[in-house]
Amino acid sequence: MYTIDYLSHTADIRLQLRADSREELFRAGFEAMNQIIRPDACRKPCPCLINQTIELNSVDNTTLLIDFLSDVLTLAHEHKAVFCELNFQEIGASHLRASIGGRPANGFEEDIKAVTYHEANVHQNAEGQWETFLIFDI
Amino acid sequence: MIVTLITITNIIITFVIIIFVTDSFLSRLGNQNIMSINKKQLTQLQDYLWELPKETRPDMLVPARVYALEELLDAILNDRSLEQLVNVATLPGIVKASMVMPDVHEGYGFPIGGVAATRYPDGAISPGGIGYDINCGVRLLISDLSYNKIKGRIEELSKEMYRQIPSGMGKGGFIQLSAKKMEEVLRKGAAWAVEEGYGDPLGLEYTESNGCLPEADPSKVSEQAKKRGRDQLGTIGSGNHFVEVGRVEKVFDEAAAEAYGLKPDQVTILIHTGSRGLGHQVATDYLRIMMSAMPKYGIQPPDRELASVPFSSPEGQDYYRAMCAAANFAWCNREVISWECRKAWSNVFGKAGGKLRLLYDVAHNIAKVEEHVVDGEKMKVIVHRKGATRAFGPHFSEFPEAFRHIGQPVLIPGSMGTSSYVLAGTDESMASSFGSTCHGAGRRLSRRGAKKQVDAAQLLRELKKRGIHIQAGSHRGVAEEAPIAYKDVNLVVETVHQAGIAKKVVRLRPLGVVKG
Repeated sequence: MYTIDYLSHTADIRLQLRADSREELFRAGFEAMNQIIRPDACRKPCPCLINQTIELNSVDNTTLLIDFLSDVLTLAHEHKAVFCELNFQEIGASHLRASIGGRPANGFEEDIKAVTYHEANVHQNAEGQWETFLIFDI
Repeated sequence: MIVTLITITNIIITFVIIIFVTDSFLSRLGNQNIMSINKKQLTQLQDYLWELPKETRPDMLVPARVYALEELLDAILNDRSLEQLVNVATLPGIVKASMVMPDVHEGYGFPIGGVAATRYPDGAISPGGIGYDINCGVRLLISDLSYNKIKGRIEELSKEMYRQIPSGMGKGGFIQLSAKKMEEVLRKGAAWAVEEGYGDPLGLEYTESNGCLPEADPSKVSEQAKKRGRDQLGTIGSGNHFVEVGRVEKVFDEAAAEAYGLKPDQVTILIHTGSRGLGHQVATDYLRIMMSAMPKYGIQPPDRELASVPFSSPEGQDYYRAMCAAANFAWCNREVISWECRKAWSNVFGKAGGKLRLLYDVAHNIAKVEEHVVDGEKMKVIVHRKGATRAFGPHFSEFPEAFRHIGQPVLIPGSMGTSSYVLAGTDESMASSFGSTCHGAGRRLSRRGAKKQVDAAQLLRELKKRGIHIQAGSHRGVAEEAPIAYKDVNLVVETVHQAGIAKKVVRLRPLGVVKG
């Protein structure tokens, strides 16, 4: 279970993500990014013609999330594709291994230049929920 | 036995110290300094200049200065621009002051409209002080035709430009760069386009840094970045990037206008774009590298997007050389887009259209090593301009002879449907703002806010009534970039004019806008 809330930002897109687990929080970021670059692309089940693996080591949960989403974004641009499927083989505080599957996209609706580290802070709140802010440079 | 115990104790102490330092570093980054700045904290130095003293926050190394007429200040205080400006004042090696121009708005890390100079060679270089769109910038082409000659054909011209210039997200251009050609573009910048027949050889002299930073090293640019840029030369992308046909509506300074070759009613073309996906990837790659490298240099920024390393460090030098390569890609991109504009112009007007000559090309997201006077002493500094334009005064040897005595042309695009300006750089900007000035109108409404308030179809009709044709890929893009989303460009320009950090030369009125 996760939630994605859109907050105000003068030039870019600011979100607040909340989830029951670290894995779900990462999934929320993945879904939010898809909603921005091509809102309807993942509505139908994916005949995933483009499959990629992402393996990452980062210094902490926060950089791991931003680096993961940055890698997905890079692959989306490189393959001109939207990645709808996400499966984590491993995910910890500073390491993950995931496979993503997607389909070619004829252009994107929004140009996300980058997933920024600004205000990002992956942590568990007093209720045990995982949460962070996320700002996309548009 | 005693030696073994001492060794074990030493190992435990070292381990505890490492945990403490790492934990302190990460928790500091996690609890990014978010404080609220209010008007009472600002000291007014001039009608157009405000200062947050160094004592505003204990980690500030220099004061923070805001160029703004009072009318603009409330909008500036509405978002987190000034909190971000205070963060910039903590950048290692920063000199004089962190500064924002009157078009400032909230960004990530640096505020947009920010200027910061750090001591050369050991001061910080921060990708956040340049932005993801490295060498996003503007160029102005000027025609031989006056408005009367093309009146009634603006829509036709805009449509032809839309056909010739690929725009929108994920759309490639007509040039596919091989690995070898990509290396050449990254090294040569705009000159590559000229050599390949896509540029005007006379234009290079009329481009900031002649369209090429010689420190560029393509080997410092990742393969992923090169892949992303492979088909993007000659494309404008989306967001606030555009190509705009306009006319000279008002001349403020006749001598400067004459030196620049501008006259009343002359038709112009303004191009705004940058280094596209290649530049975005360079910034992403090096922020990640710096994030890991910072502890080695004892750097703990108040915001992760202000990640930096010493300019002279291996990571700093690698980033700078990659950034220069991305900047060269952007200059080449704008040169190829100029070629596409010329093609569209010629397709519509034929020989009667005459030539489109480059007035000037400026970067507004970049870091440069420059000489400036700080505390009465001439010194080399690393000037970060993020949403700020170089505005060098007269007699700089790089300028073409035609306007060396006037100063650098400074190009300030307004929002879609409002005026743009050509300004001139001044001696005052050299003395007080590291030769920098504003870069545009500056957003005041979020994209979502603009979309809520603007009916794109109605806006297009209203602009049409005012004689402005918009050729855009989507209604959504039009709503996001509506004039209501931006500050009053006239007030922004008035601020820098009164402050003397650029002077008004001409005002341009839009006639046709091509957007992704």
